[in-house]
This record gives sequence, structure tokens and C-alpha cells, in this order.
Amino acid sequence: MVFKPMRNPNLGLCFPPLFMLILILLPTARASAASIPHGTVNLVAENQWIAPGRQTYFGLNFHLEKVWHIYWVNPGDSGQPPRVVWHLPKGLSAGEIEWPAPRRLGTSTIVDFGYDDAVMLLVPVRASSTLPANQAAQLGAEISVLVCREICIPGKAQLSLTLPINSMPPAVDARSSELFTAARRSLPRQAPRDWEFNVSDQKDSFVLTAKLARKTTQATFFPLEESQVDNSAPQKVVPVATGFQLTLRKSDQLLKPIKRLKGVLELSWDQAYVIDAEVGDALLAR
Amino acid sequence: MKRFVIFSVLFLLGVLAAPLLILAAKVGQPAPDFTGTASNNQTYHLADYHGKFVVLEWHNNGCPYTQKHYMSGNMQKLQKQWTAQGVVWFTIISSAPGKQGYMDANGENNYISKMGAAPTAALLDPTGTIGHSYDAKTTPQMIVINPQGVIVYDGAIDNRPTDDVKDIPGATNYVNLALGQALAGKPIETAATRPYGCSVKYKGTWF
Repeated sequence: MVFKPMRNPNLGLCFPPLFMLILILLPTARASAASIPHGTVNLVAENQWIAPGRQTYFGLNFHLEKVWHIYWVNPGDSGQPPRVVWHLPKGLSAGEIEWPAPRRLGTSTIVDFGYDDAVMLLVPVRASSTLPANQAAQLGAEISVLVCREICIPGKAQLSLTLPINSMPPAVDARSSELFTAARRSLPRQAPRDWEFNVSDQKDSFVLTAKLARKTTQATFFPLEESQVDNSAPQKVVPVATGFQLTLRKSDQLLKPIKRLKGVLELSWDQAYVIDAEVGDALLAR
Repeated sequence: MKRFVIFSVLFLLGVLAAPLLILAAKVGQPAPDFTGTASNNQTYHLADYHGKFVVLEWHNNGCPYTQKHYMSGNMQKLQKQWTAQGVVWFTIISSAPGKQGYMDANGENNYISKMGAAPTAALLDPTGTIGHSYDAKTTPQMIVINPQGVIVYDGAIDNRPTDDVKDIPGATNYVNLALGQALAGKPIETAATRPYGCSVKYKGTWF
């Protein structure tokens, strides 16, 4: 059965509903698509085969009904991020999920981080060089996901994909290439080398000073780890000629000093950067 | 008439501004006093319990994380165990009318009876006043107050933030830890954690 993803620029790439139904009705062990509360998830391969000694990416592609959302690695004040348990044959190992830049969700007193509509989580899978070629590898992914909109509904999905193992360098699967391009574009990037970030510990807040190429009026910080930054406190941005200063109120759960502040800095909907800055003393930082 | 109008306006402004004026209660600070009406129709003032340990348990019986601890009997076990030792346990429901978890007195009494729950009382907080004064964000969220009226623990019930009952036996229960250490006169190792659960369904939220 040949299938083509429907191209809809508004929704990203979605599999048509009838097609989803067909896939869901297939025996569970072989289904690369499954329904979750108020949505669907499917397992997509970037390449047509797995090559021993190389890495290939897979995507967990979530589609949600309007306003339902799932969570980022740090979910914020409530909720939990999706989790995947991989069932892989010997010789294959999965790396950590690569998370697209999140959105801020919630109210003024409860703020969460996540995604609504659609998101594809990327996972690299490494193949050992001793993996025997000319066979097929069946990859299984057990997904646990919390889907929320006013109420939360936990869901589980079992996904499976079989790929040939071939010693030739992996070729891209044209059917999913647009999905992967879009997903990679949505990942937070490394900041340009000439940008500088300093974080100073100012008793009740962290102050992030950013030296960029230009004055910036808009910035939002998403902490990577829980319990460091108060998620619902407004983040005051003070533009300066060379960039900005961002005040991040500390979390009430932060009882000890931290050495580094990691997270994602979003300057606009399509400009998200990875931040990993040492936390300095207020007196020492300029 | 004029004085009445001025008073009414000021009162309304006060009520509307109240959530904004509340400073989030944190560990190490005095627990904000409250007056709550319980499902048994009695009124409870936190200040009356000076001299006792008090546990506050935010609750929404429709939330999968709350269900994890009730369907397994875990929460009921904790309630019985600690109230037997003289700890006061308030289950608090801050869901607004029409939102998940909202219960009227009869409904909550039926739930308590059906689930074999054993709080000292279940406080009905549909206006979210008590919830906001403690900045309660999730259900469940657990707060432990010492006999001096100071918050000594605020956060998750345990260290396994899932909705799976299978994760209860192996979990470190932060309420047991905090009360056990405090009663033994030891410092509380873990005083604050990120509570896990569904967001509290306050009035005026759609989230």
C-alpha cells in the first residue's frame, strides 16, 4: 500500500483521516499510527533503511484537535511531558528526544509549556556497526502522553515500524522529508557565536543579560529544568542598545543556588535559541 | 446612599484585586490563615489548629493524578495513618462551579464515603480563595504546616510524577518524609518540590 501525506500548509503534513483509520485497524504490532485522546500520533522514519554504524532520525508526529495540547520537556506548573519507551532489536539504541521550541500556555497564575495543534518530536537512533545487514529491524515505541484542554486525559499508544537494514548510506524517505525539515526548523538553535549571555543571581530573581547584534524588545525564556524559574511571573524585558535584560523571578521551589541556567530563549515565534549560561554573583557580573 | 455606593465599589475593587495582592505562600513562611466551610457544613479556621501539624491536600476527583492516589487507596491510607497521629488533614477543593472537580457538600460526602477517605474535613473552596492564598497550582498538591503555623513542605505528593498506580509502591512519599522527620525533630530534607498533577480549575480559567 503506497501512501502519500496530504500537503496542507496550514496544518503541516497530516495523514488523511480515512488513511489513519485504515492504519489504526491494522494489527497493533505493525501500526505506525495510533489514536490518542483527541488526536493521533505516528512514528515516522527519516530514512528508507537503517545502515550499521550510522544514525537515523525518527519522528513522533502528534496531531491534536483544536485547543488540546501536550507538554514540553519541562511542562511548567502542571501537566507532564510525553514519554516514550523504545523496544529495539539488539544493535539499535535510541537517544534523547529533541524538543521543538515550546509555547507558553495557561493563565496568569498557572503557566505551562507545550504544544497545541501539531508537533513532531525527533529521536536519533544509532545502529551499531556490527548490526547484520540484509535483514529487517522492527522498532517499537510505547508512548505515554497527557492531552489536556480544561481537563487532562492520559493516553497510551503502541507504535511500530519495520525498516530494512542495508549497508549502503541511508537514503532519505521522500514521503517524510518535509515533515523532518519542518520539525528541524522548529528546534531551538545554537545562538550565533558573537552573542553573549550572562546570568546574575539577584536574590529573588535571575537577571539574564543578552548582548546580541541589536536592540531587542521581545524575549521569553523557557527554563529547561523545573523548579528554578517562577513560570507564571511576568518576565520583564528591558531593551538596551546591544540587546536586552530579562528579569526572571525565582521559583518558590528553588531552595539552593544553581550553577547554570539552561533553557530556550524565544525572540519571536520562529527565533528560538538554546541557552546554557553560568549563574554569576550579582556583584561580579557587569 | 452615597456612602453605601462608595463602600460597595471599594469592596468590589478589593474582591477583584484580591488574587493580585496575595503573596504566594512559601516554605519557611507563616501559613496564610483561612476560614473554610466543609462538606459536613462545619466551619474550620486554620488558626484554631496552632499546636498541631496540618496537611492541606488539593483535590479534583476527575484528575487522573488524583485518581491514581485514590483508586489505589494511597491517599486514604495516608489520611488514616496521619490523622491517627493527631495530624489535621484538610482536603481542599478549589474547582469553580461547572469545572472539573467541583463538588457540592452532598456530592463530596458521598465521594468520601464511597472512597473510604478519612480527612479531618473536606473544605469546599469554589471561589478559589484558599487555593489562591496558597498559590495552589495542581491536584494533588500537598502542603504541610507545623504546629507553629509555618509551612514546612509544599509540593508533590511523591517523586513519581505519573498517573500510573504502579508507580506508588516504589515512590518516595514526600508527605510521609516531611511529617516523619518533623515529628522526630529532624530537619526536613526535601521541603519543596514541583507538585505534579492537573491545573487547579479556578474560576475564570479555561486551561
